[in-house]
Amino acid sequence: MRIDYNIKDKIDFYIVIPVILLICIGLISIFSSTYNNSLAQNNFEKQLYFVIVSFFIFLIIHFLPTNTFKILSVPSYIFGLLLLLLVLVIGKKVSGAKSWIALGTFGFQPSEFAKIATILALSNFLSRNNNNIDSFKDIIFALGIGLIPVALILLEPDMGTSIVFMFFIFILLFWKGLSILWLVVVISPGVIALSAIFGITTFIISLVVLLGILFLLNRDLFFNGSVFALNLAAGFFADYIYHMLSPHQQARINSFIDPSSDPLGTGYNSIQAMVAVGSGGIFGKGFMSGNQTQLQYIPEQWTDFIFCAISEEFGFIGSISVVILFLILLGRILKNASNSRDEFLSLTQIGIFSVLFIHFLINVGMVIGLIPIIGIPLPFVSYGGSSLVVNVIMIAIVSNIYRTRKNYI
Amino acid sequence: MNKISFASVNRKAILFGALTIVALIFSVRLFQMQIINQKMYDEKSAGNSIKAIEQIPFRGVFYDRNLNLLVDNIPAYTLQITPADYDTNLNKILDAVLDFDEGTISNILKKNRIYSKYVPIRIKRGIDFKVVSWLEENSNYLSGVDYIVEMQRGYPFGVMGSHLFGYSKEISPKQYQQEKDYYRPGDYVGHTGIEKAYELELRGKKGFKYVLVDSKRKEIGRYKNGSVDRESIKGRDLVLSIDGYAQKTAEEEMKGKRGAVVAIEPATGEILALVSSPEFDLNQFSYVTTKEFLDKIYNDPNNPLFNRATMSLKPPGSTFKILAAIAALDMGVINANTTIYCGGGFTFGRFFKCHGSHGSINVTHAIEKSCNTFFYNLIYKIGLNNLKSYALEFGFSNKTGIDIGEESAGLITDESYYEKIYGKNWPRSIMASLGIGQGEISVTPLQLAYFTAITANNGISYKPHVVKGYLDNNTREIINYNFPVTKTSVKKEVFDIVKEGMFLVVNGHGTATHIRSDEFKIAGKTGTAQNPHGKDHALFIGFAPYENPKIAIAVVVENVGYGGTHAAPIAKRVIESYLTKGKSRNQQNQMITQVIQNGEEIAH
Repeated sequence: MRIDYNIKDKIDFYIVIPVILLICIGLISIFSSTYNNSLAQNNFEKQLYFVIVSFFIFLIIHFLPTNTFKILSVPSYIFGLLLLLLVLVIGKKVSGAKSWIALGTFGFQPSEFAKIATILALSNFLSRNNNNIDSFKDIIFALGIGLIPVALILLEPDMGTSIVFMFFIFILLFWKGLSILWLVVVISPGVIALSAIFGITTFIISLVVLLGILFLLNRDLFFNGSVFALNLAAGFFADYIYHMLSPHQQARINSFIDPSSDPLGTGYNSIQAMVAVGSGGIFGKGFMSGNQTQLQYIPEQWTDFIFCAISEEFGFIGSISVVILFLILLGRILKNASNSRDEFLSLTQIGIFSVLFIHFLINVGMVIGLIPIIGIPLPFVSYGGSSLVVNVIMIAIVSNIYRTRKNYI
Repeated sequence: MNKISFASVNRKAILFGALTIVALIFSVRLFQMQIINQKMYDEKSAGNSIKAIEQIPFRGVFYDRNLNLLVDNIPAYTLQITPADYDTNLNKILDAVLDFDEGTISNILKKNRIYSKYVPIRIKRGIDFKVVSWLEENSNYLSGVDYIVEMQRGYPFGVMGSHLFGYSKEISPKQYQQEKDYYRPGDYVGHTGIEKAYELELRGKKGFKYVLVDSKRKEIGRYKNGSVDRESIKGRDLVLSIDGYAQKTAEEEMKGKRGAVVAIEPATGEILALVSSPEFDLNQFSYVTTKEFLDKIYNDPNNPLFNRATMSLKPPGSTFKILAAIAALDMGVINANTTIYCGGGFTFGRFFKCHGSHGSINVTHAIEKSCNTFFYNLIYKIGLNNLKSYALEFGFSNKTGIDIGEESAGLITDESYYEKIYGKNWPRSIMASLGIGQGEISVTPLQLAYFTAITANNGISYKPHVVKGYLDNNTREIINYNFPVTKTSVKKEVFDIVKEGMFLVVNGHGTATHIRSDEFKIAGKTGTAQNPHGKDHALFIGFAPYENPKIAIAVVVENVGYGGTHAAPIAKRVIESYLTKGKSRNQQNQMITQVIQNGEEIAH
């Protein structure tokens, strides 16, 4: 087989250029949002350092033989689990979650690394030749691979990352071709649990809807009964958990349901974020001129709320650019994934797509008030070493697969 | 089935669809927020940002003329409640701790519901230190309850000065509307007395601290590290002309009486003491004023809030004979040797009584004996219009222009006044009693003191005032305010004659010989003003020392009887207190304790 070695063929510019632009936008906004903050004085320099580190990591991974990923998938998954256990023991508590391992002056988040490892391991399992995704045993096994790290991450506890995991696990199963019935079975406990928190009415309505869907898809009374029972249990369990939560966590959930109910309390971040975005207008208030950003109305804006700084200082033009860049990037990964004829590589890319997509969805969604405040960063843009490196590794994997795509036709 | 459905076109389309829908929703939302509703968010954003916190400066304090501190600022604790964090179950406990009737706190909170529940509400000012330590100890159980330290007025010298110093209170909505550029609602402004008259000097200049605040209105940092903050400037410390000792003595002497004492330094117009009795406790106004206190003070028949020293209008009685004598001598209708025969009264249409038969008497002795007959005659020689023009020259029938408070002008009648009422042929017999300060004639205690000061200083004085100047905040030098001078055209010899008469009142065989003092010569004139409201008002005007007057004084005690008996001794005490800088008072007290000790020894 002949491979055309021109640059366009080796590097996917639809992937690389949006990422570079996003990283640049991120650097600019980190500079602006930390400029007046004594607590975050060196964050711009640190981020720049990680950008350079990431560049070399990208080059290395980009040129690795593509089968390395499959070979490394199981060992890295086991290593990832060990790290997740380790962090529970020696982890450093940052904003309520024991999710960091200190490495000299830099911190490192095992759950970020575990994302890649879990994607690779689950893709590996799902792409085995004898895998029958509609068999009960294989589904349980696949869920097991996915949910063990989720369980460990929930112990930290890190709600945001757990949601990311659950999302990409579901999308991988979906991509693999799990039947709609099973998809419903897999996803329903989560939906029911969520509806239970919203109140008894929504809980009952969603249970009725679920029952309807089950009987539409399947006539087996016993099967439907068990699934229904499982869901009922999930609902009550969620309610139980909700009441076990500390008041401030409950308040967070409540304030999402109606952020204006307590504007000076828990809805604070949400409202200030929206004020920052909305007040940006079409062209923004200009670099270093957003008062919401410069006066630190939003705590730690350079991390999870970086989108506010972009929206406030660069306006609709800036914020819509970020959305378009993500649309191009994610669309391209999705296209590459569906073009991949190798099942493992296709699944891996879909996993990566899902991770970036859910981060984008939750992060931007929460900033513009469509989703409750869940603390996860905006890929490539938010400040944070581990996050940036892991995201770049994922992009490098996609890029690597693109480089060798013609080998797998 | 799995192979077929893997990465199926459908599922790819679903994910593409999801991605596109999310991107679309975000774009629409961003468009809505940043373009359609931009103005609303922009307003909110502008309201956020920087908050200027007012730094209320220390209010200027008051020193007396000897630089004794009369009024200062003392820290006081104010209990406040932030309703948002507060549990109303605590109402009962706090009511008990603060000595409130049950339900008081609940009422206060209800009244303040119109304000944001994140803004602390003042519940009680000037809480006890015991309560503060109780709050500290139990702060864990008292969420939403805390205290702040505020500056309040203290009166360390023991001088009440209720009408003199006055008090501050929260700015009225009306005044706030007029002076919006400086004050904020809830600010304290001088409301009466010096506090009001010198508000601009006393208040200083507010400073501003610029802070970044979060939406809880809590400080999250200094704006630009405080580089644009403006320090508050302390108010001017006033130096009063008041003599703390004299003021204190006068207050003590007037306790339980109704009336006023005003003492003035003749050469300067500086007021040495200004007392209106009954007084009220200014401390009650420096904390949250209770309703009971206000009810009590408003319904008090003695009307303690009324400043008798500058407002009460009384006939001057025989003290007015001094003015009549000055007028007559200056006009030349009599001289020092002119005698008038007093056979116990005077007839003009009807009989006007004198309180004795003084025989042939000249002006000095007429003053000494307070002979009515002499002055009944004199007024017809002077004429009403002339008397009035002399009265005006000596500050009667006009506001004196004192630097504090409200003031009454008083009334001195002239011929046109009676012509208006009775026509051209008004009964001239009315004039007789005016000659002895009775009838349609009214003056304030302040005017009497001012008149006495002018007389004592031979016709020259300054506009009466209670504030001399202020202490420069940096150099602590006294910077004097200027006051206009008063000059009468009356000849010096006139004053010598009149003052000799006044000297004899105390040191001859006059009406106030019982206040004679060996240490310093007091000159004066008693007065007893008849009135329809009960017993006569007792009056006394005087000055001392006779040779070189340092203090001129007027004392008015309402409804007690003779001036010589009731007013003159008060004047003596105040004069004594002033001239000896309070020493004699202490000696007196020591003597009393000695007597008591001796008494005890005897008893043993």
